[in-house]
Amino acid sequence: MLPEYAELHCLSNFTFLRGASHPEELVERAHALGYHALAITDECSVAGAVRAHVAAKQYGLKLIVGSELRFEDGLRLALLAADREGYGNLCTLITRGRMRAAKGSYRLERRDLGQNLDGCLALLVPGDSPDPGQARFVAARFPGRAWIAAELTCGPDDHARLAVLRRLGDTSGLPLAAAGDVHMHVRARRPLQDALTAIRLGIPVREAGHALHPNAERHLRLRLRLAGIYPAGLLAETVRIAERCRFSLEGLRYEYPDELIPAGHTSASHLRNLAGRGLAWRFPHGAPEHVRSLVEHELALISELGYEHFFLTVHDIVEFARSQGILCQGRGSAANSAVCYCLGITEVDPSRMSMLFERFISRERNEPPDIDVDFEHQRREEVIQYVYRKYGRDRAALAATVITYRPRSAVRDVGKALGLEPSQVDRLAKSLSWWDGRQVLPERLREAGVDPGSAVIRRLVRIVNDLIGFPRHLSQHVGGFVISCGPLARLVPVENAAMEARSVIQWDKDDLEALGLLKVDVLGLGMLSAIRRALALVNHHRGTALTMQQILDRGDDPAVYGMIRRADTMGVFQIESRAQMSMLPRLAPANFYDLVIEVAIVRPGPIQGGMVHPYLERRRNPQLIEYPNEAIRGVLERTLGVPIFQEQVMQLAVVAAGFTPGEADQLRRSMAAWRRKGGLEHFYNRIIVGMLGRGYPREFAERIYRQILGFGDYGFPESHSASFALLVYVSAWIKHYEPAAFLAAMLNSQPLGFYAPSQLVQDARRHGVDVRPADVRASEWECTLERRDDAPSLVTRHSSLVTPGETRVTSHESRLSAPAVRLGLLMIKGLSQAGAERIIAARASAPFADVEDLARRAALERRDLRCLAAAGALAALAGHRRTAHWLAIGAEAPPHLLNAAPIHEALPELSAPTEGEDLVADYASLGLTLARHPLALLRDRLRRMRLATAAELRELPHGDPARAAGIVTCRQRPSTAKGVVFVTLEDETGYVNVVVWRHLVERQRRELLGARLLGVEGEIQRDGEVVHLVARRLTDHTRLLGRLAAKSRDFH
Amino acid sequence: MLWLAVHFPSLALDVFARGTRAPGPLAIASSTGHNATVFACNRLAHGRGVRPGMPLAAACALASDLKVLARDAAQEHAAAVRVAAWAIRFTPTVSIAPPDGILLEVAGSLRLFGGLARLRALIERGLAEFGYGTVLACAPTPLAAQLFARAGLAVRIQHRDALRHALEKLPLEVLGQPPGITAALRDIGVGTIGECLRLPRDGVARRLGQSLIDRLDRALGDLPDPRPGFAPPAQFAATLPLPAPVHEAQALLFAARRLLAELCGFLAATGNGVQRLGLALAHEDRAGTHLALNFVAASRDPEHLASVVRERLARTDLPCPVTAITLASELLVPVAAHNLSFLPDAGSHLESAARLVERLRARLGDAAVAGLATVPDYRPEYAWQVCEPGRNSGEALPRQPDSRPLWLLASPRPLREDADVPCYQGPLTLLAGPERIESGWWDGNDVARDYFIARNPDEALLWIYRERSTGGGWYLHGFFG
Repeated sequence: MLPEYAELHCLSNFTFLRGASHPEELVERAHALGYHALAITDECSVAGAVRAHVAAKQYGLKLIVGSELRFEDGLRLALLAADREGYGNLCTLITRGRMRAAKGSYRLERRDLGQNLDGCLALLVPGDSPDPGQARFVAARFPGRAWIAAELTCGPDDHARLAVLRRLGDTSGLPLAAAGDVHMHVRARRPLQDALTAIRLGIPVREAGHALHPNAERHLRLRLRLAGIYPAGLLAETVRIAERCRFSLEGLRYEYPDELIPAGHTSASHLRNLAGRGLAWRFPHGAPEHVRSLVEHELALISELGYEHFFLTVHDIVEFARSQGILCQGRGSAANSAVCYCLGITEVDPSRMSMLFERFISRERNEPPDIDVDFEHQRREEVIQYVYRKYGRDRAALAATVITYRPRSAVRDVGKALGLEPSQVDRLAKSLSWWDGRQVLPERLREAGVDPGSAVIRRLVRIVNDLIGFPRHLSQHVGGFVISCGPLARLVPVENAAMEARSVIQWDKDDLEALGLLKVDVLGLGMLSAIRRALALVNHHRGTALTMQQILDRGDDPAVYGMIRRADTMGVFQIESRAQMSMLPRLAPANFYDLVIEVAIVRPGPIQGGMVHPYLERRRNPQLIEYPNEAIRGVLERTLGVPIFQEQVMQLAVVAAGFTPGEADQLRRSMAAWRRKGGLEHFYNRIIVGMLGRGYPREFAERIYRQILGFGDYGFPESHSASFALLVYVSAWIKHYEPAAFLAAMLNSQPLGFYAPSQLVQDARRHGVDVRPADVRASEWECTLERRDDAPSLVTRHSSLVTPGETRVTSHESRLSAPAVRLGLLMIKGLSQAGAERIIAARASAPFADVEDLARRAALERRDLRCLAAAGALAALAGHRRTAHWLAIGAEAPPHLLNAAPIHEALPELSAPTEGEDLVADYASLGLTLARHPLALLRDRLRRMRLATAAELRELPHGDPARAAGIVTCRQRPSTAKGVVFVTLEDETGYVNVVVWRHLVERQRRELLGARLLGVEGEIQRDGEVVHLVARRLTDHTRLLGRLAAKSRDFH
Repeated sequence: MLWLAVHFPSLALDVFARGTRAPGPLAIASSTGHNATVFACNRLAHGRGVRPGMPLAAACALASDLKVLARDAAQEHAAAVRVAAWAIRFTPTVSIAPPDGILLEVAGSLRLFGGLARLRALIERGLAEFGYGTVLACAPTPLAAQLFARAGLAVRIQHRDALRHALEKLPLEVLGQPPGITAALRDIGVGTIGECLRLPRDGVARRLGQSLIDRLDRALGDLPDPRPGFAPPAQFAATLPLPAPVHEAQALLFAARRLLAELCGFLAATGNGVQRLGLALAHEDRAGTHLALNFVAASRDPEHLASVVRERLARTDLPCPVTAITLASELLVPVAAHNLSFLPDAGSHLESAARLVERLRARLGDAAVAGLATVPDYRPEYAWQVCEPGRNSGEALPRQPDSRPLWLLASPRPLREDADVPCYQGPLTLLAGPERIESGWWDGNDVARDYFIARNPDEALLWIYRERSTGGGWYLHGFFG
């Protein structure tokens, strides 16, 4: 008869670089071995507890939550939570130790055990030579609920060890219980565990010596073996201890803050109140009946599920942002509800779009509502600080993000631990082409200068395979806040984040979701900053009060959609990438819902699932649209029978394969992980069998399954797409009607979007926007708008050289009233903002006489003056750049006030720089030039080399041979494109979109990756408006550029 | 005064590459770190598109078989010092000109060596034999000579009147000013020394500092430019790192010859011969091989030394490839002095332990006398090592568990089993255990054993184990005292 056993001292890999098994693996193994219970006791952490809890629930294993703690004086305890009280006390103790130390570490002293620890059971883990003082202390501190952990792991003399521990028990009165000091679920993890030790110590394994464990006994051992090692009483004691632990994470209840509810109100009545007020604000002439009833319906559902506090919390944060003039916008399933529209959380208007959405939360799906709120990225911090201020650091914290080992980091760390040469490790880690996730490609390894057959490499591969996916450390979630009614630390431990004044909890968003706890996402979105700035610029310039809502209220504007259909969308939110731009003319959006689709369709999910072409075909030819039955029509009608959104895929699983909504949600979550772990097979059976059972043909069922797989984690939800589409429309509207304000706002919000300032400026100038240089006499810190008739007296250095290229200006009128953009001083590389502000202040009293005067009155350091000179911003005071530099390094800053009398010295005669030199300097300092495009300077040469311009290429018919050259502005290798690289070339007339097939990529790697000025010989491929140049041969012409510093933006 | 500047344009590469006849594509990294850039590369690497200044990652992407080594400034300096010691044969006035050159004042040597052209040829040939690329330039001021050499111009300017004109054409960068100053000059359109000289002196001094003006004046000879004299070190020691590990004695000899040539130059310059030479071979991941070469008579004949080294290398079994070789003069003798007797007179003094070890080793060979140390490894056979006698006294050694026998067998001996009971001169009784040892997977010698302390009928205490992996079975591994 095998003895009963509960393992009470077990580390998972959430004890970073010690534990060598996932919590799920430990639970599964403990269950398979028939353990009575398993305690996960990660070191000063419960970060792995939720995963273990979810797995334990699945296997029906009893899970105990605990933690191993090492105190400064050497005392080592494993504390177990016996009840909710004990769990709260344990979390509080962990928090105390964590908050006292830097991120990733903790510090506990014995006196910390003075806090309330009722409900905690203690196991003393004695050291090599047990200390009776420790045992007596623990016996006194935890009367009747402390034990000595007898951990016999086949050391030098277990027999003697047990005798010593027994004596320790006798003198202190503590009973003994068996424990395993478990670090891994099976003994086969020994190499990985040793490697983790070496990584932790930062030395190779072979030097780790006695820091390693002497054997692999620290795994979950067979009960048969335990019976041979431990006296029966010690094993039985573990079960008695486990019986005393009645706490389960299931028992956690989330309590929301209640200060948001005014006296005399309940949460429900307060929310109803606010919604009613919002309805009147949104619909000053009375809300339509269906909106009213929708709000009623939603309020009832919110009440039923008890989510009022969640909506009130989000509303409070949004109200704060609004009061500070911070633009924000909610998205997510609940965000697009009518209630959220009334609360001002979203602009998605239910009276216009209600029919299109499967909105909100559903009653049967036990899924918490999802609201992410995007704020202007540069002002999100204000919102975060508001949350901390309002609720206190002890009640609000960010969710964690578990940073896990990826192939690259795993190769790096394991390579070092195995003692490989640093350069070899580097090379292996950098070119992971030899690794496709599971398999090693020997020929690629050989290319990296490594013998694939060598024993070291085989060990490396094996350990790396196990290590990938291991948690490495906790980082902060981008903005997911957990806010509670009481101290948060009684719910989950809180620790310091890497950032000053931030704290994170030990659970990530999946953990929170698994426990049904809610978080509020406070995210940053650059485009909101740009929109807010653009509106402010327009309103300031025109004296208007335009808002985002007003733009939306004007309804769909055909001129704006016209611009979108031409793919004239550089800088527009979401639809500016090259892939989006080539989709726009084909999808030809004509209304708001088309934009919702456009945002979601150019994503890996729909592309890999093969949805794009069927959808486009059905758009062109509605005859192709067909539905197997009415249920499917209900799900897919709005997207012409082709699933495009994540919600639709889930609904298909419900409607076609008979999943419950809860199971469909499970499916979504498993898909996020399947690429790493595999294991979707049982879903395959359920889907196929389910669909066959409902009379669908197998072929159709297989197709749906493939589509579901293709979506994986990459599907985009309609609820997010809709909110994004609003910003698409608003930013497109501004670009169309206020291109100058759009440009200035984009430049002021950098880094943002896909394109560099240089490209944005060229695009704007092609649209007739007058862009004026940065100038100490006229520029503010940010880019600003100037009247067209302003400032022509200023020396506009390059205006005579400008070749505007093609111009597309909407109307003559707008051209007349159109403002010009003055580049701000923020564009100047290296210039300090403080210096720039002193310039602006000094300028207000009187114009600058010369550089000396500027330097003195604005108290400028030489560094700032040099930056101004480099940018050409001193042109009006100093003439050409070389003189400007001479004067800049000669100007004395205020520390030398004693000789305040200006120094009079002769100006040496310096020859003016050439146009090319000025161009290089422009790029180096501003990242752009207002003078001629560099290729305009080279055009004669390029002509002689028979290279055409981008404009000429646009006119060529499909299939024509063509040759062109341009500056490489973007190289892209989408994961969906099978090794094809897309290159964008820029010349003085526009862009050439180059397609480089895989075989050419391999053959001309050097030209492709190395060239800044690339020549391409190939063939025109034309699909309506969309023109590509398919490369046959690449030539590197970089030397023509001389020192021109145009950097490509590489995206991968 | 006539100064000859010897500039090493590829020193960072040469200190590695000169040890092999045909290195593959090779690049020297500016630093170790993730953001390292290419500092220098050889011709093969250049042919693949590798360029100085390029990020290392990019270079590796271009040439997958590129060998990358981190720059070793200490090696470079040591090389300059050795060359300087060698160059003393040409003139007493030698000076190191950091970072990558030396200076010789040769006005007084021209006649002795048959004119400047012959002198230059001698120096160039000598340094080529050591494996260094060089540019030699002559000028009336040491700084000007340096600047020309650095610019790659092997000029011969013997008179000050011609100096200014020639200097004016040099690019600004050869001045080796801090990057800030060079950039400032570039920004105001100054590309050559001449253009710099044409700027107002006061204005330049105020803006860019007096030191720039002074430097120009020194180059022109308008300011004195005293240089520190070079004194050769007392002993010779040189290391030659090999870009790729070498296994064949023949290839090693090639590298050794480079060092021997330098050694002989050093000996000639300092009037010494060598009586005892140390040749150390470094290996990838084990202790180095040290060869001591004794000469009956002090020698400085390169051919003789090379033949001794060749023979010794031929007799030496290399345990694994060699990554670097070091040559050091361990005993120098003025060449005219008497030879020392090989063994000192016996019995003259009471000998200290160290002396005893030394004598024993001299008689019995180095390998016959050794010390012992413990090593932190769980595997008993790896838990100790041989070390230099006396070296570990005083150091704290890793502790071993108490249950280890004093006498460990050289290799475990299989034990006979009788009805599953292990026997050694009779059936064994297990007294303690098992102590389980599973360790060592990382070097291919993984063990998995359960150790026991056992007693045989003769009351002998034995350390035995049961093999847990393939085959199983009992083994005797040691005896307790």
